[in-house]
This record gives sequence, C-alpha cells and structure tokens, in this order.
Amino acid sequence: MKKISIDPITRLEGHGKIDIFLDDSGNVANAYFQVPELRGFERFCEGRPVEELPRIVPRICGV
Amino acid sequence: MAKFKLAQYWAASCGGCDVAVLDVHEKILDIAEAAELVFWPIALDFKYKDVEAMEDKSIDVCLFNGAIRNSEQKHVAELLRKKSKVMIAFGACACYGGIPGLANFTNRKEIFNTVYKETLSTVNPEGIFPKTSIEVPEGEVTLPEFFNTVKTLDQVVQVEYYIPGCPPTPKTILNAIDAIVKNQLPPIGSTLAGKKTLCDECDRKKEERKISKIYRSHEIIPDPEICLLEQGLICCGPATRSGCETRCINVNMPCRGCYGPSDEVSDQGAKLLSAVGSLADSNDEEKIKEILDEFEDPAGLFYRFSLPASLLHRKTMKGD
Repeated sequence: MKKISIDPITRLEGHGKIDIFLDDSGNVANAYFQVPELRGFERFCEGRPVEELPRIVPRICGV
Repeated sequence: MAKFKLAQYWAASCGGCDVAVLDVHEKILDIAEAAELVFWPIALDFKYKDVEAMEDKSIDVCLFNGAIRNSEQKHVAELLRKKSKVMIAFGACACYGGIPGLANFTNRKEIFNTVYKETLSTVNPEGIFPKTSIEVPEGEVTLPEFFNTVKTLDQVVQVEYYIPGCPPTPKTILNAIDAIVKNQLPPIGSTLAGKKTLCDECDRKKEERKISKIYRSHEIIPDPEICLLEQGLICCGPATRSGCETRCINVNMPCRGCYGPSDEVSDQGAKLLSAVGSLADSNDEEKIKEILDEFEDPAGLFYRFSLPASLLHRKTMKGD
C-alpha cells in the first residue's frame, strides 16, 4: 500500500506528522495523525515547590 | 548585498524561542531585509526532504532551539549541522537543556508511567505506551525514540555560538543578528550575551547582609531596592550570565538562571550552592544547616535551566 508522509506538519505550534495510506486505486484507505512530541511535564513538575510552577509551566507552550 | 540563508528549527521546546524572534517588532523588517529563510517549520511550509535536498553548508546560519529529547530531534540536528556553515544554539533549552532538562531528575520509564498511566485524567486500561514502530492494517507507522536522558545541542553536534535565555530578549537577538550581518561574530564557542554575572548588572543595594531565614517567594513582598538574596529570597544572579536586562529582578522576582552560567562559572548549580552556603548568618554548623534545610528543592532551583549541561548531567537512577 502506498504511503504519503507529511513530516513535519508546519505553520502551527507543536510537532506533528501525518501518514496517509492509499489503496490500489489511489484512494485514501486510512490516515494516521501522530504527535512525536513529549517532554514529561506531568512527571518533572512533581517535587518542585508549588510557587515555582508559574515559572515552569509557561514553558509547556510559549506561543 | 546578498541575503544570508537562515534556518530555524525547534526540537524539545515550547515555541517561545520562535516567537521571541518576532518580539523584535518592526526590526523584523530589517532581519527580513538581511536574511532569506530556507527552513522554519512554525511559519513556513518546508519539509525535511527539502533540507535533505540542500547542498552541504548551503545554509549560512541555523538558529536551533530546543533540547534533544528524542531521535527525530537528534537526526534533524545532525542534518542541519551538515547543511549549515554556522550552527547556533538558540535559547536555554538548546544551550543548557532548559526546562525540559528537568526531566533528567527522572527517566523514560517514570515519565511514561506518569503520563500514560498514572495521571487522573488518563484512561489507558490496556497499558499502551508509545512504540517506535507499530503495525497497522495498512502497513507500518513509526514514532521517534524517546531518549532516557535530555541532551543539549552541543552534546550531539558541534555548535559555533550560543544565544541564551528563556527566551532570549529582543536586544540579545538583535545584537546577534547584527554581528552576523556585519560579519563581526566573536571567536567560535562564544556566548552572544553578557560576559559577567547578573549580580554585576543588578542595581539593587548590596550590604553583605547575612540571612537567618530563607523565604519562599509567596511568603514575603521584597523591598524593590535591596538585593533579593539579602532579603532571604533565593536568587540565581551570582552564577547567571548577564544580558537579560534583569527582567525578572525588575518586577521584584528572583532570577531563575535562564541565561545559563557566566563565562567564569562552569557549573551553575555548584556555584549557587556555594553562594547560598556562605549567606547563612551563623558560624555554627548546626545553625547553618537549620537555616539551609528550610530551602525547598535546591537542585531543581539551582539547575532549573541547566541540568543536562551541568557536571551531573542527570540524576543517577536504578535500572538506567
């Protein structure tokens, strides 16, 4: 099956990739949207003093 | 004059560095006059294959922001290095690891467990974690490998210059662009910001006063004229590079070190540890310990932006 990859997805905030699979007649059989981005704020914010979080979590998204 | 070819890329970052370039306001027109953008995913539709098709060293300057967190980011760093004459680590994450570098206090296993299993809003009864490759009925789809350890840009490729900050200020950015355009870049390896520490630039009164209590930032409203450290608030100024125009200090907030270590400091956290240790108002070891024990999370504060670049690199964990 033919695969078209759009990588990276551009003109937006964040990282993404789209894989489109085409069937024998060239129609879309299925498409997968993937976010290859993970930094782990959910984990590394644990153990930080709560008053520091307003200075850490703005870096989840700076746009 | 021919325009210089400019690429910008984001790895493990928040997009704030890309937006910081726009914070120069109308001066962006001068940058557009001087530079031709050949790759900038947040704003223009170029793909990786476009970069792959470029001749080696055909990009004059690459401003690379973000830390190296996964194999895709490492691959693109290597690709852009090959295609660029000058590679610049742009922002705290690329220079020192930045906020994503706090993940070096934990590891891949713990992050995956928390993010995909333990958080209250996660529903994942089958315990599915990200995989680098997965078979789907139509074929294979892939994801980059999530590394165990966050790296700085210069830990994976050679870097010529560093523009620090979270994010770099408009002045820092414009000075750097100006040096590029005028071909007046300093020796390779230089950081394009101040040379001294933030304390050297800070206007607050310093009286060599010792402290008998360390305060958390929500506990007091500090006097805006006096050194924050001398008021018992931990400030990273003594080890942090100048050049940010004391932005946080100006709004009565202590520095958190986003400009990284200054020229004379090799390890930001170690330097801060020694600076704070000498502040305690006692010669009695027990009393000093009592004062400093009130200080919450020293490692997470002293290495807030620079753990991957530090001598420690990461916390050593069983099973890694």
